[in-house]
Amino acid sequence: MAYSELVKNFERIRDYLRQFYIYGFKSRTEYDKKSARSYDNERRRLESWLGDYMRFRQTADGKNVFLSVDSRSIPGNPLHQAFKAKSFTAGDVTFHFYVLDLLQSGESYTAQQILDLFWGKYLSCFETSWEPDLSTVRKKLKEYVSLGILRAEKKGRELYFNRAEDRVPLEAWKEAAAFFSEADPLGVVGSTVLDKLPEQPACFRFKHHYILHAADSQILLQLLTAIREKRRIKLINAGKRHPDSQYWHFVLPLRIYVSTQSGRQYLLCYHNRYHDLQFFRLDYIRQLELLEEETEYQTYLDDWEKFRSHLWGTSSGIGWNVDRLEMTVRFEDNETYIPQRLEREKRNGRVELPDANTARYTVETYDASELLPWLRTFIGRIESLECSDPAVVKRFYEDLEQTCALYGGES
Amino acid sequence: MLFSEVYGTYYNVLAELLQHAVRGELTREKMQAVIREKGFEESILTIPDALESGTWPLLNRDLTTPLEHAPTMPLTELQKRWLKTLLQDPRILLFDPPTDGLEDAEPLYDPDTFVYYDRYSDGDPFEDPAYRKRFRCILSAMRHKRWLRVRFEGHNGRQHYWKCIPYQLEYSSKDDKFRLITANHRESVSINLARIRECFLLEPYTEEEYDPKPMKKRILIMELTDERNALERVLLHFSHLEKETERLDGKRYKITLYYEKEDETEMLIRVLSFGPMLKVLYPDDFIKKLCRRLEKQKNLRTRTE
Repeated sequence: MAYSELVKNFERIRDYLRQFYIYGFKSRTEYDKKSARSYDNERRRLESWLGDYMRFRQTADGKNVFLSVDSRSIPGNPLHQAFKAKSFTAGDVTFHFYVLDLLQSGESYTAQQILDLFWGKYLSCFETSWEPDLSTVRKKLKEYVSLGILRAEKKGRELYFNRAEDRVPLEAWKEAAAFFSEADPLGVVGSTVLDKLPEQPACFRFKHHYILHAADSQILLQLLTAIREKRRIKLINAGKRHPDSQYWHFVLPLRIYVSTQSGRQYLLCYHNRYHDLQFFRLDYIRQLELLEEETEYQTYLDDWEKFRSHLWGTSSGIGWNVDRLEMTVRFEDNETYIPQRLEREKRNGRVELPDANTARYTVETYDASELLPWLRTFIGRIESLECSDPAVVKRFYEDLEQTCALYGGES
Repeated sequence: MLFSEVYGTYYNVLAELLQHAVRGELTREKMQAVIREKGFEESILTIPDALESGTWPLLNRDLTTPLEHAPTMPLTELQKRWLKTLLQDPRILLFDPPTDGLEDAEPLYDPDTFVYYDRYSDGDPFEDPAYRKRFRCILSAMRHKRWLRVRFEGHNGRQHYWKCIPYQLEYSSKDDKFRLITANHRESVSINLARIRECFLLEPYTEEEYDPKPMKKRILIMELTDERNALERVLLHFSHLEKETERLDGKRYKITLYYEKEDETEMLIRVLSFGPMLKVLYPDDFIKKLCRRLEKQKNLRTRTE
């Protein structure tokens, strides 16, 4: 099949976006399990959509292609472009512009009338291979009604179609849409709203802005539907350990956990088989189907409320057992920002000030090892570190020695 | 359905071309210009050919069209639902958009569906009317290209009065805070919005006065050892920065990052958070600062043992 810069299926692109954006050191031969031509096509598409952000480097293994973006200095998330590259047929595009033109002045027509008007008003001007029949037109009308672009009204025995009402004053939304198209987890929808405006505001920029989550927007949208409708789902989790998994997990989605410090998104759900609350990374979810409604949904949310009180990140350790950790830090008179940091960065637990230059943070949490990266940010000030799991303290000080050794200190 | 051609770049480009065609103003040059500006890089190879060959029967040979109206498309249900969802977010109060046309739309999700578990807890007071008033004043200054007078409280509690040109509002999801970035002649400065006590509009600024400065970037080169899934964790954590990664051997990688000079302390503790998985190779002053902290920590431990 001839190459096209548009694609039918988003799933393959999702993986390439991730590989080019996060890793970017792989050469052509490392990418595709199936064929080098697939790699060439996907790379060419990404170059076509995201040309300004693609970078190349020649190495001994060949050419490396990667995406490099300083997300603080971009006008909008470039990965949204990938969602605007869906392929279509000549019939799709012709129907789109004809039907919206036909109904623009507020008229209502039946499917048969629409078909007749297509021929009478438009198609008679062309020699074209697109010859729509009633069933094609009906199918497309139904699709446009489900998208909310058209409305269907029954008059007598006939179904009439007209344009859906649109009274939203978009111009008055433009700054809000510009902000939330980046700040909202489903910002890609906002970027399609911004596309409707003649000019997009450039009054915002974003720091610590992780953009890769946009690639998982379709999965996120399905999960949000399931949560809103309190429905169970089944999903395939193709994580690092099981990239080709075809195993269906049956779960009840409860919440979406988002890290503002890595951009990762997780589904928190109740797992039918393990009878427990579990996290799944959204970027690992490959397939998802909505199932029946759960009538006892609130009971599971109540469980989560209890569960979250000892959760630091997304690990519940082993069997919800709780570790107790205590860190004492020293600070100078002019360093009051240190206890302030503890206060604002802690996720649970408490901060005490035993004296004017000491702050103590105490927490009871499922998996104290999850705190290690955060504890290390206080290196240089930690007077004592204690934990009911001695392995955590041991790891902290061993890592410290190894880090010192990296810079020529004693190991 | 999110991945649909109705939101696609091709449809948007075609809508614009047909808009010109309806008015009888479409030329081949204009067609090329619109496609190059709004389309993807290779759209120029596809769209003109499909239109002129009649594969997409939308344009006559003379570039007129049988369409009677400039194409428009109503907002889809998904777009309306997304806008309705925003009305539940406390930050929408900063913009206060009209709710017309969204009465029947269902939000896509409830505000408590998302848990931002590592977001700092001292975010800006979006619900404070005085904060909102100042936010809107800054937006208005940007919209109408006016100077601003701001009174804000410095870190030491001292009051400052500045006259500035607002350039952008910078939001950090991690901090849940906005900062005002200025575009005066001298160095670009930033002020936390929550520290601004008062602000009001002044006279319009001229083109010459508007002079946003590029951010001052510094380079950081590190060697990563891929243990405990460090490769993915580090690359994801720093993925919002311009970066380049090279594989040195099976387990070691060289990472080059570009960060803002003002963020050096933050970068320092972010690097430290990865422990021995990251070794800074450049620049030397960054390494010195790291070593100072490590040394201080070793001394603290020795003292308490």
